Amino acid sequence: MRRLPGYLRAIWVENIKEWKLELAYKADFARSLVDPIVYLLPHLLYGIAIVGGRSSPYLEKLSGSSDIITFVILGYIFIGFLNMALWAMGFSLRKEQYYGTLESVFAAPVPRWVFALGMAAHSTLHQSIIIVFQLIIMYIIFTFTVKASGIFPSLVLIAIMIFALYGFGMMVAALTLIFKQGWLVSEALSSIMMVITPIAYPLGVLPVFMQKASLFIPSTYGVLGVRHFLIGEKLPFSLPVMFLRLFLLCAIWITFGILTFHIFDKYTRRQGTLSTY
Amino acid sequence: MRTLRVIKAEVIKTMKIWLTYPIMLLFWGIFPLMWVLPFIFQGKAFVGGLESESFKNLTGTANYLSFVLLGAIISTYIFSGLWGVGNALREETYWGTLEYMIVSPTHPLIILVGKTVVEFLYASVVVFIQSLIAVFILGLRVGINQFLPVALIVFLLLVGFYGLAIALAGFTLLIKEVHGWVRTLEWVFYLFSPIRYPVEINPITKTISLLIPLTYALVAVRAIILLNKSVLDLTKTLLLLGLMDVLFLGTGILLFTYLEKQTRKVGTIAMH
Repeated sequence: MRRLPGYLRAIWVENIKEWKLELAYKADFARSLVDPIVYLLPHLLYGIAIVGGRSSPYLEKLSGSSDIITFVILGYIFIGFLNMALWAMGFSLRKEQYYGTLESVFAAPVPRWVFALGMAAHSTLHQSIIIVFQLIIMYIIFTFTVKASGIFPSLVLIAIMIFALYGFGMMVAALTLIFKQGWLVSEALSSIMMVITPIAYPLGVLPVFMQKASLFIPSTYGVLGVRHFLIGEKLPFSLPVMFLRLFLLCAIWITFGILTFHIFDKYTRRQGTLSTY
Repeated sequence: MRTLRVIKAEVIKTMKIWLTYPIMLLFWGIFPLMWVLPFIFQGKAFVGGLESESFKNLTGTANYLSFVLLGAIISTYIFSGLWGVGNALREETYWGTLEYMIVSPTHPLIILVGKTVVEFLYASVVVFIQSLIAVFILGLRVGINQFLPVALIVFLLLVGFYGLAIALAGFTLLIKEVHGWVRTLEWVFYLFSPIRYPVEINPITKTISLLIPLTYALVAVRAIILLNKSVLDLTKTLLLLGLMDVLFLGTGILLFTYLEKQTRKVGTIAMH
């Protein structure tokens, strides 16, 4: 408890350090704001092309909402959160290695979780800015309405989901210690997760094995819950069950993430490969 | 003859490096098709099946699954060329071998041709793997008689496109980090050419797409495979692609030669 203020300061410093690095490359920062919009627009235009408008009776039958634009835009927010866990957090250690600062960071007198939380704070803030920007631009282009009463429960749900994703991000960060070429791990995992998370479609259209796999991913509950609160998407489970499962996933992923990180960190030190590429 | 030997040596060298990471070949063979899956599920959720009438009104085919699969497969060449050829000399900088290459008695352009050839071979293996998956697992229907016309269109697309990538490689010599530029070009191709959706759906995307050679190639490939058109029906498109080839390749080579000279003059070859 005595060390807590010091740890909190270290988390803050790590967050600020990342922001300084990020803002040193302004063009890249601006690009990170535009990036999700470039990948979202084809989904929306494709949807309009196959439906012939923005209202689909098939989607209404499956999910309770017929507006394909609002449905996809709200779902797509969660790609940002997945990226946060897989790239921003998962890739953080690899980045330190590129900068040549990994050894110095690991030699600092703070536990690893402090470093990880600093990274998490930065990536959550960065991702939130990206999402707000994305929503504003999409609103200007397409105009969409959501239930105002659903905003608060959605934010609560997202907050719980983010904690579960932190655990996931820690696991990916640990994998980059072993595999070094961690981008392949992040890319493969993100590709799989973006298919099985029901981002641009309801859960029901996925094959059964994918539906089952998606239940282990926190963002599935996030995306279904948020769309339920904001546009009334039908849920395949009750609200208490959804929150209970998300809490469970939170506990499981955080424990698993910390454990994996601890084991791989120890293994890398024993092998003496911390500084190798 | 000597030039061909240099190109062959460059091809063998780059292939040796790539074959050190066989998992990458598997990754690029499988995952670009995986990125198409959300579009398929999205289609099923929005129209209740694998065909759409309004899609047919825009593209001539109701089969949106084949439409996106062909877009993903053909664009593999474009994205691999953009990153592979455009960034090839930058990689030599990372490996610490760019200076040796520049001071060798071979013109860097010849080495770049070698790198372009090997990038094409690698992308072709990836495209072959993707085509097998698309045909045997995802049900894309392609006739054997359609292979040659499609190969001709892809060839015409790539000649001009590699010209653009060679110019980009020249920029990496001068301004070093072109990651951002490559990314921006990738956006332009992804958003304004009919890789994932018919650009005719929006007047802005439709107009901008006319400036991108990939648009013509994709429209022609889809016309052959999905609409059973003969290559003779597409003479205008082929001519246009040929003209773009002359323009892009010529400009690319001129720009590269100029930028390489410029970099030597300012003395920044070895800088990062």
